[in-house]
Amino acid sequence: MEIQVLFFGVLAEVTQTAFKHYKGVTSFADLKMRIGDDFPEIAHYNFRIAVNNELINEDPVLKNGDEIAYMPPFAGG
Amino acid sequence: MSQKTLINGPITQEMISSCLAALAGNTDSGGHSVFIGQVRADVKGAKRVKAIEYSAYENMVEAEAGKIKGLILSEYNDVQSMDILHSRGVVMAGEASLFVLVSAGHRRHAIDACSKAIEMIKASLPVWKKEIFEDSSTGWKENSLA
Repeated sequence: MEIQVLFFGVLAEVTQTAFKHYKGVTSFADLKMRIGDDFPEIAHYNFRIAVNNELINEDPVLKNGDEIAYMPPFAGG
Repeated sequence: MSQKTLINGPITQEMISSCLAALAGNTDSGGHSVFIGQVRADVKGAKRVKAIEYSAYENMVEAEAGKIKGLILSEYNDVQSMDILHSRGVVMAGEASLFVLVSAGHRRHAIDACSKAIEMIKASLPVWKKEIFEDSSTGWKENSLA
């Protein structure tokens, strides 16, 4: 699967990128591990994950073309 | 209702006036409740905030704003319309960054729905803010409960 991963707020700053494209993803666990390897610094921050604009509470079943967002606590208003 | 939520830069008097003008002549409405959030020049230690730079997950902001409008309209059957505008990019202290306008048949629903919408916006819109201080240093800010 090909998955687009987006980083927002402080996470975009510490990863020094707003997005990264992953190919050959086999599962959500595989993707999380690869992101953790690429950007180990994000482990120091609080964040939630959304898949295609929806926050997730448990590991989802990914499909090709999904968009994953790593998001620190919201601060709108 | 189909207006985009995210605005580049501050929310201007003209944008606010335009939203209010659109309600003129609506003879079913008995009251409009307005909330305008603006950037505060907080002082942190020896530093003073001069601006906030907002970033956002655009697709999700529009989706969540749509959900908020849907929930408000279904929960408050007297509410007839609502607008939500939120800034993206740099907004200087003293400038507006959030505008919420709720129009209802009666004042109580307009006020209550506007208040609830603000809390939902704070909780569920994927927006982040970086404070820019007068010495040009920056810091990420999270929402408080106030």
